[in-house]
Amino acid sequence: MVRTGNTAPAEDAVTVPDDGSGPLRDVVYDLDDVAVYYGSYRAIRGVTMQMHAQEITALIGPSGCGKTTLLRCLNRMNDLVAGTRVDGTIRYHGQDVQAPTVKPIELRRKVGMVFQKPNPFPKSIFENVAFTPRANGVPKKDLAEVVEGALRQAALWDEVKDKLKQSAFELSGGQQQRLCIARAIAVKPDVILMDEPCSALDPIATLRIEELMVNLKEQFTIIIVTHNLQQAARVSDTTAFFTTEGKEGGVLVEVAPTRKMFDSPADQRTLDYVTGRFG
Amino acid sequence: MAVTSVRPERIRSKRSMARARARAELTPRDRVIKFVLGAAAVVPVAALGFLAYEMFKEAYPSIVFNGGKFFTTKTFTIGNLYSTGVEVRHGYKAAKGASFGILPLIFGTLVSSLIALVFALPVSVLGAILLVERVPRRFEAPLGVFLELLAGVPSVVFGLWGVYTFGPFFARDVYRYVADLHIPWLTGAVGSGQGLLTSSLVLAIMIIPIVAATTRELVRSVPALSKEGATALGLTRSESVRLVTLPFIRTGIIAAALLGWGRALGETIAVLLISGNFLNAYPKSIFAPFSTMASTIAALLDGALTDSTGMAIHALAEVGLVLLGITLLTNFAGRLVGRRLSGPGLPVGRGV
Repeated sequence: MVRTGNTAPAEDAVTVPDDGSGPLRDVVYDLDDVAVYYGSYRAIRGVTMQMHAQEITALIGPSGCGKTTLLRCLNRMNDLVAGTRVDGTIRYHGQDVQAPTVKPIELRRKVGMVFQKPNPFPKSIFENVAFTPRANGVPKKDLAEVVEGALRQAALWDEVKDKLKQSAFELSGGQQQRLCIARAIAVKPDVILMDEPCSALDPIATLRIEELMVNLKEQFTIIIVTHNLQQAARVSDTTAFFTTEGKEGGVLVEVAPTRKMFDSPADQRTLDYVTGRFG
Repeated sequence: MAVTSVRPERIRSKRSMARARARAELTPRDRVIKFVLGAAAVVPVAALGFLAYEMFKEAYPSIVFNGGKFFTTKTFTIGNLYSTGVEVRHGYKAAKGASFGILPLIFGTLVSSLIALVFALPVSVLGAILLVERVPRRFEAPLGVFLELLAGVPSVVFGLWGVYTFGPFFARDVYRYVADLHIPWLTGAVGSGQGLLTSSLVLAIMIIPIVAATTRELVRSVPALSKEGATALGLTRSESVRLVTLPFIRTGIIAAALLGWGRALGETIAVLLISGNFLNAYPKSIFAPFSTMASTIAALLDGALTDSTGMAIHALAEVGLVLLGITLLTNFAGRLVGRRLSGPGLPVGRGV
């Protein structure tokens, strides 16, 4: 189902009723009053929201509002940044991800991530996808199948099936990004986090990734940070708008079904942002 | 030429005008700087060329006197300097009984430096990766200083240490037990530790700082985004090293290894002290005494200077010329291999 040409999701495409009550889908992430600090600087605060299975949740807002910071807390990538502290609770299927019993490595196997710029590994196309499943114990005889499945799902198979042994760096930027998506899919995650996945791509490559996202949400929960409002409007089911208050850092303004967010947001700041009056 | 005579002249004059204008735009200060920079750029090439030329000139009588035998025979002796007779070949004279064959020296040079590299490379690469990726930032700099200090230890100190401490210790406590396993070439008399293996191990310690420091810079240059990609897939740190760090630095490691190898090939005094200085035959085992080209030049120079025919000096110059050639050749070959391995499209990690 492709509906990337519209500026708002088509009526029949998404089961989001206009009353904004939201569909009855499993809660994957449940955030309660989350704030994130880098040392003494509070990058974002006041985040209370849920993210649902088989939906695309878009995080939008001006630069410096903490969207990426929030995203990177969901798979504990912020552990890599010294001095990061998270207040409030982030529950993933009911489990507090900050709990000392949670192993970040295991969490990250369930929660994949795609970055701002394509970052394929300096290996062959096949090896980019196969490495992690192999490391996770997928037997050698099944690897080819896993790789093909992931590349097909990432809509890249037909373009690369004859050159799987070539370096991943020989692909175009858009292909590389789809390879990174395939790489994430190959681990059979539950969630895919995308941090401005199209910011380094041209419009055509961007459209392909957007089509892909819409197809992938049948199986995965997708959470995307984007600066591109049209993109959020085109692909997401739920949108969360953040703003920045200078030294006070970012703050969550509102969360709503995407359609409602763009047609009749509850907050004046959201309206100003989505209509292009600010940001 | 079929071209009319007007056009080329006009072009030429245009060009020379442009050149004149460019020259006019240079201030005197610019011109001085340009000259100094140009001279500086020429110095390394000129120095190498001059060196090679001088070595060749000095070695020439030996090249004619020995011909191909220089590379195909095993006995290297400057002859009986007290004999009144001389040997004459192709119009050049040498002392009676003189023979210049460097096969065992080439063997000793290559094998000792390669064994050194085999030990030094894994230690250096692993050490550099640990230093950058595992050791906390605040310990990284102090630990790095040790590397630089190690690089600064004079090689004669390494040589003395190898003879008096390291060699005997290894002979008594390690080599003996290895030799008892009776693995071909890894068995035989271990003596007091002077020989091929001890020399190689000491060479390894001497080149570790060079290889490790170069590798450390490579590891630092691995893009953070690629490492994050591995982390985000739930890979462990060692998996991330295998998947991201090593492929990125692979070709650079070859360059680092070449730097180290070059040092090991040419190392003189430490090897002279530890090698046991055994000429004219191949070492019987990895523990046995041997010689390298560099150590032999140093060992025989004094005697060679007293050779009234001058051939001994010429022969040592030819040894030096061959050593220079081998060093350049290994460097060049390594670079070729590096380029082949890197293939197209790798954004970083090309051979330096």
